[in-house]
Amino acid sequence: MNLKQSFIIAFVLGMVAIASWEAYWRSQGKTPTIQDDEALWAQQRARVDQLTQDDYIFTGSSRIHFDLQLDLWESLTGKLPVQLAMGGASPLPVFRDIARNTDFNGTVIVGITPPLFFSTTFPQAPPISGPQERVDHFYDRTYAQRFNHALSKPLQRNLATMHSYEDMLAGNVDLKSLLQTVKWGNRTGRPQMPPFYEFGELSEVRNVRMLDRMETDPAFAQSVKDVWMFCLTGGPNMPPPDKKGTMAFFLEDVALITQRGGKVILLRCPSAMEFREIESKITPRPQFWDELVQVSGLPAYHFEDYPQFQGLNLPELSHLSGPDADVFTREFIQLLEKDQLIANRKSN
Amino acid sequence: MLFNSLGFIVFLAVVLTLYYTPLLNWTGKKLMLLLASYVFYGLWNPPLILLLWISTMVDWTAGNQLAKEERPRVRKLWLLLSLVVNLGFLAFFKYGDFLLENFTAMANGIGWDFKARPMDIILPMGISFYTFQTMSYTIDIYKRKTQPARTFLDFALYVTFFPQLVAGPIVRAKELVTQFYEAKKANAQQFLWGLFLLTLGLFQKVVLADTLLASTSDTVFGAKNALNFWDAWSGTLAFSGQIFFDFAGYSTCAIGIALMLGIVLPDNFMYPYASIGFSDLWKRWHISLSTWLRDYLYIPLGGNRYGITRMYVALMLTMLLGGLWHGAAWTFVVWGALHGLYLVGERLLKKVIIIKINVFNGILLALLTYTLVNFSWVFFRARTFETAKTMVASMFYMHGDGAKVLGTFDIVKVFTVIGLLFICHWVMRSTSLKAVSLKTKPLALGLVWGIMFFLIAISQSGGEQFIYFQF
Repeated sequence: MNLKQSFIIAFVLGMVAIASWEAYWRSQGKTPTIQDDEALWAQQRARVDQLTQDDYIFTGSSRIHFDLQLDLWESLTGKLPVQLAMGGASPLPVFRDIARNTDFNGTVIVGITPPLFFSTTFPQAPPISGPQERVDHFYDRTYAQRFNHALSKPLQRNLATMHSYEDMLAGNVDLKSLLQTVKWGNRTGRPQMPPFYEFGELSEVRNVRMLDRMETDPAFAQSVKDVWMFCLTGGPNMPPPDKKGTMAFFLEDVALITQRGGKVILLRCPSAMEFREIESKITPRPQFWDELVQVSGLPAYHFEDYPQFQGLNLPELSHLSGPDADVFTREFIQLLEKDQLIANRKSN
Repeated sequence: MLFNSLGFIVFLAVVLTLYYTPLLNWTGKKLMLLLASYVFYGLWNPPLILLLWISTMVDWTAGNQLAKEERPRVRKLWLLLSLVVNLGFLAFFKYGDFLLENFTAMANGIGWDFKARPMDIILPMGISFYTFQTMSYTIDIYKRKTQPARTFLDFALYVTFFPQLVAGPIVRAKELVTQFYEAKKANAQQFLWGLFLLTLGLFQKVVLADTLLASTSDTVFGAKNALNFWDAWSGTLAFSGQIFFDFAGYSTCAIGIALMLGIVLPDNFMYPYASIGFSDLWKRWHISLSTWLRDYLYIPLGGNRYGITRMYVALMLTMLLGGLWHGAAWTFVVWGALHGLYLVGERLLKKVIIIKINVFNGILLALLTYTLVNFSWVFFRARTFETAKTMVASMFYMHGDGAKVLGTFDIVKVFTVIGLLFICHWVMRSTSLKAVSLKTKPLALGLVWGIMFFLIAISQSGGEQFIYFQF
């Protein structure tokens, strides 16, 4: 047995295979991306403990994640917000964590996507369990996990092979995700979700900006729309919203933050056409958003109420294109300034 | 720290560099290995290193006293101290909540309205492994089977040696401590063979267990409804493969890493799914635990020295406690009981049926053994008896219209992987990896090694924890 020879063969073969794999995925348009995983989320959550009264936290679902651009916000206000929103999530678990486990007394902007916000407080339901797992990870993460994350980031920044978004299996290139895309018929008889590709680009502070391709490639934008329509109409039956339970859950925590001098602001980001119609059917504005605003007494901004938020470009009906996310961010800051909810605008 | 993580690659590179640079003498190298082992453990939860220290101090003191003390009564007391501390830790951290739950259920059962808040105790990683290891040290000295470690450093390193600290193999003092007495250094062949074993272990864990099998097993055992025959079998077979690749993968990594340092650890798995019968199985599956249970439980309980009935009782008790060692739940006890019954049944059958094993009946008996093992895995994997009962019923085709939760590709994937696993174990059951590698051309071995390396890299392990860490 000549292990030296075997080792050299294995090393050369392994390296050539990895380089070829990387080249292949780059030729397929994959680029290195930062992974929006629980480790990155926890890193941002850790920043909360250093924040002051002048700082901002964003929480909610993917809309506030896409629609408020952090770099622009920082350039206009001088403060880089902590972005804790995540796709398909209710803001309730994260908001509860901020209210009960921190002494943050700055401003929390809560993105309200009504079908998610009013969905449930049941711990095992996906809109709650997903964000709760991230909160739990923040408290439970080990030093080894932090070390691994620090080591993996340079690889994520430089290798398309590491291209991976949680829950977006169609675009991931790890072996498990690739195997999961293999379908031979439909043995289970369940409706099959269309392929779901990532359509935003993430930065290390968890800013998400929609890919330019969404504006230039209608077929690509349609593939994302198809996923939304599947989730809203073709997927498993959604239980009815729990308005009473979710509002009571939220208001308890609002009181904790406002009592210590913090501010809570509600933001309903834009949606369009079929998406908006379906949302309005599930959670009609007067019975849900309007009631929440009235009962909570919080400053609240609904995109329908402002002319500057009309006619914005939502290529897949639910999130703003990059340029229009800038418009939305800028205009929203102006509204806050007008309502004296922002005290430290940079231009001042 | 997990072997299947980027952090561990950096950690191992630093340890190997320090180990092979001429800066440190042998004592310095051992000290470095000890500190590295504490870092390896502490990066998970630093305060729990205290338990390791207490266990180390108590067993070091008890071992020395047992060696020089001649009065039987005092020797018993020192042994008792070691057992109470080690088993006390295990009882509190691993079984505290379980005992409380059962006490509460029993109290409520007799009409006492007793309510207790769960203690929510953290289970220190690998506690079952290192407590068994240190207990074997004091018991062996008590029985005058081994000598105490020469220095405290040797003993502390024996308790804490990072390759096998959290999931074995459970190594006896005479197998490991004695290796620390003289400077150890792997030659090039040993080092590269260690690296090959590390690659093979990671391939088993990352590619075969986590990438190919885990999701099928999770889907099936997480299903809420009674399942179709094929889904139930696919999930159970997937778990049988997952747990083997996960645990054997860890042991293979541990053996490989130790060998890169010039330290030899014993084999822990010998192709168990090709076992012919259950006595054979337990000589091939988690060998370091089964020999521990044999030497420190079965034999002290009487073994086969006091007649057949007593032997069967000892066997059943050993397997029941072996089941409980794996986890604080009654489903694990049932898993142990099933294996106890299998062993008893096999011994009874062997008295009336004498079979001369050949290739044809051997493979059929191996398949029969593996099938029965799979029924036991259902209880090991299921979180509740209800799930286990429904799953077993589905495996007996009692839910013909049961839910289909797996795609066709998933089923084909599982049957292919498990089929290959079984064939591989059958082919290898009378030989060893080393023997096969000696007959293999360097080019072929290099190709296999390179492919494993590539598949590990593209699997992008998210650092899934090894199943046996929880035990």
